[in-house]
Order: sequence, then structure tokens, then C-alpha cells
Amino acid sequence: MQQNLIWFLRILIVIQSLGYAAKLAAPSALNSHLLGSMGGSFVSGLDHAVWLFLLFASVALLMLGFLRPAVSSVLGKVDFTLLGLLALWPFTLAVFSWLNNLGDAFHATDPIGHAVRFAAPLALVILSFNPNKLWQTRVDWLLRLSVAGAFIGHGLCAWWIKPSFIDLIVGTLDTFLGQDLAASASRQTFAEVSLPLIAVQDFILVALLLLPNRKIRTVAMWMALWGFVTAMSRMTAYGWSNWHDLALRICNGGIPLFLWYSWKQPKTDLTHS
Amino acid sequence: MKLKTLSPLILLHFSSLFSVSGEQTPWLDKDYLEERTRQLTPTRTAAPSQWRVIWTKQPSTRATISWTTGKKGNEHRVSYGVRSPAGPKLTESIEPQRNGAYSSAKGEYFHHARLSGLSPSTTYDFQIESDGNKSPLMHFTTAPADDRPFRLLFGGDSRTGIDARGQVNLLMADLSEKDDQLIGFAHGGDYIISGRSWSQWSTWLSQHELTVAKSGKVLPLIPTRGNHDGGPLYDEIFDTPGGKDKNYFFTRISPKVALVTLNTEISAAGEQRSWLAQTLADLRPQVRWLLAEYHRPAWPAVKTPGAAKKFWVPLFEQYNMDLVVESDGHVIKRTVPIRNEKKDSTGIVYVGEGGLGVPQRSPKTDRWYLQKPGMAGADHHVMRITFAKESMDYEVVLLDHSEADSMTFLPR
Repeated sequence: MQQNLIWFLRILIVIQSLGYAAKLAAPSALNSHLLGSMGGSFVSGLDHAVWLFLLFASVALLMLGFLRPAVSSVLGKVDFTLLGLLALWPFTLAVFSWLNNLGDAFHATDPIGHAVRFAAPLALVILSFNPNKLWQTRVDWLLRLSVAGAFIGHGLCAWWIKPSFIDLIVGTLDTFLGQDLAASASRQTFAEVSLPLIAVQDFILVALLLLPNRKIRTVAMWMALWGFVTAMSRMTAYGWSNWHDLALRICNGGIPLFLWYSWKQPKTDLTHS
Repeated sequence: MKLKTLSPLILLHFSSLFSVSGEQTPWLDKDYLEERTRQLTPTRTAAPSQWRVIWTKQPSTRATISWTTGKKGNEHRVSYGVRSPAGPKLTESIEPQRNGAYSSAKGEYFHHARLSGLSPSTTYDFQIESDGNKSPLMHFTTAPADDRPFRLLFGGDSRTGIDARGQVNLLMADLSEKDDQLIGFAHGGDYIISGRSWSQWSTWLSQHELTVAKSGKVLPLIPTRGNHDGGPLYDEIFDTPGGKDKNYFFTRISPKVALVTLNTEISAAGEQRSWLAQTLADLRPQVRWLLAEYHRPAWPAVKTPGAAKKFWVPLFEQYNMDLVVESDGHVIKRTVPIRNEKKDSTGIVYVGEGGLGVPQRSPKTDRWYLQKPGMAGADHHVMRITFAKESMDYEVVLLDHSEADSMTFLPR
């Protein structure tokens, strides 16, 4: 059963990587940061190289999951390296997204709002290489803190009424209730009233998630559902062609679901064999 | 709409093939650019600097003359009058209705004098005065109230590449000087990197002086907010175009030409969409040439589509826009005519995508909407559009005056 959890985490990372690869149809934040100094050809090439790496890493991670190589083997080190780089890419993007838009409060939340995306590969590295109970506890807190970061980051954007969040709500209402131009303004008002309430919900969930010596599975499940719903809103608002926006946010719901599931598991050795 | 002439797919980076002599493009010489930059009016004095003329809703009868002073000052005014062959007669005078300190600045103040009751198609001399210190004598021409032909410049993304920005500004001044029909300039947003940085804005504003022709001709500016232009300074610099927290409006440039300026930095789906639908429904029966401009593209040549594609494009198609101008991508692009996400001869053409100095990217030329008869490329550029009864002529002008792209649109 514990191996199922490890597999679940690995699949989340693969889906996220595919989402990041598809997202490279647009220039990355690193591309934008380097454009002025390195030129258009270099940054386009850099994005293309990362795109190839993400596709390769996604396939390789799945294969390595089946092969389950020993930690000290060459393939084990390849697994370690791939996961490290897959943690580094979301972290790099989050930091440069912030740096490229200094002074923009919404972008300033990216390094914490995207924490779950780089924490997931790190968690898998740790669980693969240090499968004892002490490290399982540390991973549990790493993931709890990263989920807290995701909810605080998104909660702050909701509290400040991020315009793109309004469009996600109005676009989703258009999808389910039908487009009504006369209702666009009132739907915007509904969104502007809802977002601060959503923010409060996010902050309460974070507080409950981080209670010491408590693991409230209902909170983890609620965060999982909310994480999936909000990630899915990129598609309900803009259509199936935006699947990558769901894919790269898969950990927003996936990691709380991981926590929910792991909290009913007895702690056992998570070694590969 | 019919496509009369079409240009080849990509000819960018080959501009030297078309280059003209350095005497006609002195801004390509680094020393010349440095010298012109050194001559810019200093800002930290009581004298006026960083002057600009702003157009929003009624450019045939209204204009806002704005400037900066390094001190709060006591007396500020703009003197103006209809240009006369006999010499300047500044018969009118107005004090700025709005003054204040720029947010996060070090003592610099903005002043906005809103002129109204102007005569259409009329050239006005004006001079700014702050505490007895006078600006040079300058002039601008109001928009027409009849159906005469005129030209506008379009462009976006001047946020980095400071030298290149200066070069494009000097190109615009040169185009303006030689062309009485060229009366305004619409900026598509991303003026600077950080909209909350006064020092960056101040550099941009000072460099904007380079767009003033040697004769003193100023091109009134129609502003658009870009994703790097967040914060209060944008409204302080451009006198809150379109209203606070909105920054969307339409400009009736002539009885037969309207430009709808949208804001991609607020909700596209909500109130702005309702306003857009009503505005297009009102304008379409009245004008021959109906254009829209905004920052984040619906049909990008580099990035992925913004919210405009989902929420505004259906309205553009419903009301048969004649041209849509986008920025943000740092390339040159012109799409095929698009309707229902397909190439369609009755569809909408989208052009852009930001070349007022910003480093250029490599466009994704494999996208279906950039194939022939569309085009994509990369170079610093400004777009020039001529509005006439018979046609609307679009051209992309590079720093060396060469033409990177052109197209003629016929009335729908």
C-alpha cells in the first residue's frame, strides 16, 4: 500500500512535468529574464531544451518507477537527478516570475503559491533515499508546509481580488449557466464578493492543516477537493485546450490528497524492495 | 473586407537590404543618440519637463497637456493658440486642473491641463510655464471632424532596451516631421519594466521628448495599460485615461474612425466585456474603420492566448472589427483574417506585437494564423496606419525607414 503512495506521488510529478512542458508554448519566466542580456535565439533555444528535458524526464520517471532501481545504482542516481531538476524548474520559474514583476503583489506570491510544485519532487527524493520514519515525518511536514504555501499564496491573490481569478469565475459561470453579456457585470460583482470569502476559507484551512500534533483528514480532503476544483477552473473557464494549466497545478489537489491518504496509513518502511 | 495587397511571410532581420543613407537615419549612429539624449530637458528643476499631449475620448476638440516639475511650484499654466503663419499667437491660457506628487518620486510633480473647446483639424501652438520657466514652443494638431484622411502610429513595449527606445522615438519624430497627416500615436503598453518605479517612468518620460519633431510638433498619445504598468503612476502620468480602475475607453478620432482601447490587466470577462459589447454595437454602424487596441494578445506570435481570446474575440467577430492591435510578444506579426478560429476572408486581422525598443523574441512561425498571407518576424518597429475613404493602409516601419510589412484594407 505504501508503494501505492510513492507511485501516486511519482504520477503527480509526471503530470506536472507534462503540464510545464506544454506551458513552454509560451516563453518561460527564465526566458523573459534572460532575453535582454542573452538575446531571442538563446532564450528560445533554452526553452526548447527545457521542453525536451521535461518530456524526457516524464517518460524516464515512469520507467524508473517500474524498474525501482537501487538507490546507489546508476539508474537510482539518474532518478535522483531528474527529480532534483524537476524540483528546480518550478522553483526557478516562481522566483523569476516574482523578479520579472517586482512591485507586483500578485507575482510576489508565486514563490510560496507554487511551493507544492517543487516540494513534490523533493518529497519523492527524500522518501526514495531516506525511507525511515523520521524522514517520513519530515516529508509529511514538508508537504504540509508546501500545501499551506499554495493556499496562502492563492488566498492572498483572492483577498486582493486578482483580475484573472474574476475571469476564472465569470468564465466558469458562462460555461455552466450560459454566456450572457448583460450578466457579465453582475457575475463580476459575484466574483468580487466571493473571492475574499474564498481567501478566508483558504487561511482557515491552512491554520487547521498546520495544527501541531493533529492530522485532520477532513481538512486534507477539503483542501484536495478545493485544489482540484480551482485547478480545473482553468479548463471550465477557458476550455479543454488549457489542459496544461490543470496539469501543472495537479499537485494543488494531489498533495493534500496524498496527505489524506497517508494519514490513514500505519507508518512503515517505504524502501523500494 | 478584402485583402488588396499582401506582403511576404518573413523579411525581418534583412532590413539592411532596404536601408537608406545614414543622413536620413542619424539615430542609428550611437554618438548622435547619445548627444540627443544628453540634450533632454533636466527634470529636477522648477522648469517644465517631460511634456506630453494625451488623447482619450474627443481628440477633435479636447487634449490634455501634461508635464513634470522638480518642485511643487506655485504657478503653472499652458498658453496656447491657433497656429498662424504670422507667428505664434498664444491667445488662450489655462491652469492645470490636476496637480500632484508622483507616487514614490523624489519631489517631482505632475500637472495636467485639460484643454477643451478646440477646433477640429487645427494646429495649436502651445507653451508650458511653471513659476516663470517656459518650455520650448511646441504644437499639435487636433483630430478631424470630417472625413479627411489622416495617419496614426501604433506600437508597444518600450520597457527595456533604453537605447533602442530612444532610436524608435527619433524615428517617430522624423516620420511626424515629414507628414502633416500624421496626427497621433497609440502606445500599446509596457512602457517600463516596473510600473511602480518612478525612476524608470522618469527615464521613459524624458525620452518621450525625443518623439517631438525639430519643428516642435508633438504627437498626442493614446495610452494603453500593459502588464508591467501596474500601480498608481500610470494614472498620474496619463491623467487616469478611461477612469480609475478601468483604463478602458474609446477614441472617436474622426466621424468615421474609432479606436477602442481595452485593459488586459483587469477582468476581461466582467464589466469591461459588457461595456465592449455596448460600445461596439453603438460604434459599428457609425464608423467606417473600427479598431481595438490592448496589451496581451488573443492571437500571440510568441506566448499563449490571453483572456481576450475567450471574452473579446467573439465580439470583435460579431461587430466585424477592421483591425485589432496587440502588444506584449516583442515581435512583428500580422495574422491571417480569423473568424471562428479559422482562416476566413471575412475575418479579423490582428497585428502587433511590440517593438518600441524592447529586445525582440523569435516568433513561433509555425502557428496557423501566422502563415501566408499573414507574417511574423522580429525587429524594432512602429506601425503606421493611414485612414482614408477608399482604404486603410497598414505598414510596419523599421528603424532604417524600411518597410517590413504592409497591407491595404478595404471598407467592409
